[in-house]
Amino acid sequence: MLTLVLDAMRETVRRKFVPAAAILTTAATLLSVWGFWSLAHLHTAAGRPISFVEMRSTTAVLVIFGGFLFSFVLAFGAAVLAAPALSTDLESGLLLPILARAIPRQRIVVSKIAGLAIVLGIYAATASVLELCAVYVTTGYIPPNPPAAILALWGVSAVLLSLTMALSVRLPALASSLVAVMGFGLAWMIGIVAAFANVYHNATLARVGVISQLLLPSDAMWRLAAYQLEPVAMLGRNGGFGPLGPFSVASPPPPAMAWWTVAWCAGIIALACWMFARRDA
Amino acid sequence: MASSDAAIDSSSLTKAYARNGPLAVADLTLRVEAGCVFGFLGPNGAGKTTVLKMLLGLTTPSSGRASLFGTPIGIPASRRGVGYLPELFRYPAWLSARETLALHASLANVVRSVRDAEIERVLALVGLDHAGNRRVGTFSKGMQQRLGLGVALLGNPRLVFLDEPTSALDPVGRADVRDIVGTLRDAGTTVFINSHLLTEVERICDRVAFFRNGDIIAEGLIADVVRAPSGVSIRTDGADEAVVARALRPFGAAEFVSGEIRLADIDSARVPDVVAALVSAGVRVREVGSTTYSLEERFLELMSSAC
Repeated sequence: MLTLVLDAMRETVRRKFVPAAAILTTAATLLSVWGFWSLAHLHTAAGRPISFVEMRSTTAVLVIFGGFLFSFVLAFGAAVLAAPALSTDLESGLLLPILARAIPRQRIVVSKIAGLAIVLGIYAATASVLELCAVYVTTGYIPPNPPAAILALWGVSAVLLSLTMALSVRLPALASSLVAVMGFGLAWMIGIVAAFANVYHNATLARVGVISQLLLPSDAMWRLAAYQLEPVAMLGRNGGFGPLGPFSVASPPPPAMAWWTVAWCAGIIALACWMFARRDA
Repeated sequence: MASSDAAIDSSSLTKAYARNGPLAVADLTLRVEAGCVFGFLGPNGAGKTTVLKMLLGLTTPSSGRASLFGTPIGIPASRRGVGYLPELFRYPAWLSARETLALHASLANVVRSVRDAEIERVLALVGLDHAGNRRVGTFSKGMQQRLGLGVALLGNPRLVFLDEPTSALDPVGRADVRDIVGTLRDAGTTVFINSHLLTEVERICDRVAFFRNGDIIAEGLIADVVRAPSGVSIRTDGADEAVVARALRPFGAAEFVSGEIRLADIDSARVPDVVAALVSAGVRVREVGSTTYSLEERFLELMSSAC
């Protein structure tokens, strides 16, 4: 099993996914340093430096916004990495000599997911720490609970990874990544709409939001991450931009949702294993 | 119950890719003894690769049963000690030949302490010892096929499936494969070869089966298969064809092929009469024997008769 996990990880490095991500992340971090340094030295129209509170609240909103963009990068990255891992490798014949070995097919699926999940986890942690260091050095701000936020962001990628891998057992790579990313976007939009439920006390909307999070828990993971990045002073206020939207979470998903996400991923991976074991190569 | 002597034993193995669709393999019953070099021949689309994939657990049979060394196919244990070179051979372009072999050595449970030595042995065996550290992406088709052969031979398997093993190789490479298969035979390894290259098969296989429309239409030892059922071939000192044809008329129509006189469907008890008829017609007979076909002639005959 370890052989296949390491092989999946090596593939991401050798096929330039990791080097490309490293270069782009370094560039994004350097831009952030410049951006947050500029923010810290902004002046109002009246010519006075912006206040400490203004600077901190704007930084907090920007960090959450950056976190959201990063969750999209992770989700998209997970889909792109997972989509060809089974379908393309099977169609091209790359997997045939491995499938003909005396190893259960389930082990191949689980190893590939584990290898990619580790790579995404290392990337999520490294890029997040770099970005948060950049923010801290330039503005002195640090979000309330970065480790929990990073874990939740990695959860977003784990959801997409599991879903795309399961889809790729039956669908070509392009279709499976497209379906997974569309599902991610749809869940995110439903999450925004469901946020109205809290404002207007609409039980139906709230139910739709919960059902959506149960069906595809990526939005729940994002909301958990956003909550962990949100200072207490601005919980649910969206940095003064109103109570709605994806960048403002008044209360996080219940802890059971985190466990549901773990169970959901395990269930989807089990389904992928079951389908892959029955697929003709 | 499958006999443990058989490397491959299948009974009524059937595969249809679609429900109620045409059968890719129909009721295949096949037995390959351990240590045999077995040629599996058939035209394109006959279902040869499907048979091989079913035996390797890559494709699930629709019905029937089969086993490798007594272990039912489909479970991982049946593939223990089995090597496979696919027809569509592709190996990760981002790995070197040595890394590819190391990956498969690990998957084939080659003992860690001998793994490096085994990789070097296989690289030398398939003629890639000079290219072990080169990325597979830079390999020619022939080199990739050699690497695929190396992957199949890792860990000294007791059964090797080779699907068109010389399709991308030049004459030198084909000769190398012949030598490798000979070495495997000497070591008692069972080799199952799918191939269109009948001259290669004729030279390296002990037994062959002709496969068409999902079923075996003839099977046997190479020597038996290429021998005509009841034919006789005669060599003479340049006898006149008209004289020979007239002398042999009571025995049937004589054929003249490559300087040989061939008579089909003749009882072996009548062969002395045939010789006597020729001698009395003034023909000097030099050699009399059973008619043999090349494997290619036999293949074409069987395939056309099965249409």
